[in-house]
Amino acid sequence: MKESSIKLTNVSVHYRIAREKRRTVQEFMIHLAKGKKIEYQDFLAMKEITLEVPAGETLGIIGHNGAGKSTLLKVIARVITPGEGEVSVKGTIAPLIELAAGFDPELTGKENIYLNASILGFSRREIDRRFDKIVAFSELAEFIHSPLKNYSSGMVSRLGFSIATEVTTDILIIDEILAVGDEHFRKKGDERILSFKTRGTTMLLVSHDMNEIKRLCDRVLWLDHGTSRMCGDPFTVTDEYLKVQ
Amino acid sequence: MREALKEILEVIRYRELLRNLVIRDIKVRYKRSVLGFAWVMLNPLFMMLILSLVFSTLFKVTVANYTAYVLSGIIFWNFFSQGTSVALLGFTGNSSLLKKVYIPKTVFPLSIIISALINWILSLIPLFVILLITGTRISYHIVFLPAGIIVLFLFSFGVSLILSTITVFFKDMIYIYGVLLMAWMYLTPVFYPPSIVPERYRLFLSLNPLYHFIELFRGCLYTDSPLIYEHFIYGMAFSALALLAGWAFYHRYKDRIVYYL
Repeated sequence: MKESSIKLTNVSVHYRIAREKRRTVQEFMIHLAKGKKIEYQDFLAMKEITLEVPAGETLGIIGHNGAGKSTLLKVIARVITPGEGEVSVKGTIAPLIELAAGFDPELTGKENIYLNASILGFSRREIDRRFDKIVAFSELAEFIHSPLKNYSSGMVSRLGFSIATEVTTDILIIDEILAVGDEHFRKKGDERILSFKTRGTTMLLVSHDMNEIKRLCDRVLWLDHGTSRMCGDPFTVTDEYLKVQ
Repeated sequence: MREALKEILEVIRYRELLRNLVIRDIKVRYKRSVLGFAWVMLNPLFMMLILSLVFSTLFKVTVANYTAYVLSGIIFWNFFSQGTSVALLGFTGNSSLLKKVYIPKTVFPLSIIISALINWILSLIPLFVILLITGTRISYHIVFLPAGIIVLFLFSFGVSLILSTITVFFKDMIYIYGVLLMAWMYLTPVFYPPSIVPERYRLFLSLNPLYHFIELFRGCLYTDSPLIYEHFIYGMAFSALALLAGWAFYHRYKDRIVYYL
């Protein structure tokens, strides 16, 4: 039995939605003066999820919109702390979620590589060492000293993909970003994802593309309204999932 | 306490991000305006000119070298007010990142205070020029200036932790703090001498941390005030208090921040 790199035990995430929005001091004071109590509505984004991902496995996560896929990834990436349950993650994590968040349009491609990689927690030396490879893979060498606001959106996502996949981590989180750039770059990106599998990186892949899931994943988790509906062999789970749709 | 140590280690691990954020702040600030760098120097000088004209006749008798007095006051105040009011947006302004990637959150207010500090140190250049022009003798207490800057930095960071956390939950904090800052400025001897404060209100004055910091700053520069050590001790006490309160407040609410961004 391989060592598990991700282990969740009975994890639940509540989003507390205030029935009346009270987002300003002014409103807070008015309600305090009136002596009303704040009423909250509990929204359960994840219900008692127990999950174990062994090192080196590629786990696919499927489910309809709002099923809790992103919430699960955020819990694993330590972005949100769940209200209940235990989370244990061994190793470093690189998230590949909506890459544009870490870019600054005023800065050049080069400056953005340093900024974005440092957001992932890498030191200057580690980035220096990988800089040339990142630029080569993105095929953006001739634009690397221009500000990012002059890039096309395809170029920006190519740069983001190159950074997040060049930095080697133990766990890679991929939230539907395989559709990056043109056909040529997509093929390159695909090859790179496959090379991670052979290298033994643990991967979590969220996708609506069932062919992609079947091709890349060792196991699939089907989330439904925050609960685990089914977990197992990719072909069985995706077949069942498609039947319900 | 262990949690605080953990956060410090995490921030050290993310020091490259801290560096990049500070560099970006400074680059973007100077790129945006045509005058850029020169503006940081000119802004307090213009303010000083206006205030000197207005107040010098008023305080001539009580304040020696009013030009140096008011300029050092304005430069000090600019650092604190600009630094903390930008740091107030430390979490909300970076919500798109904080909602997607794990980052030790304190990096954001910290980077803003560091950039403000660098700008402040740059604005010391016109101050020294004015001191030279007006023939002011620089105090030998200038050797305490770096220590004073560090203490003020820690105080501002503690205040920023509280402000940036509150702003996540109350969006109108930015306006409230603007009003509070204005009141705070008038309660701090920025352009009037502390001696005009009536005896019975002196206690309140000594409870204002910024009174001690501003007097410490002037003391290090030129006033040679014998009270400088007293101000320094008060300053250290207030920064320790601000840091502790800031950390306690942030730590209490930090897990809820992402849910409210």
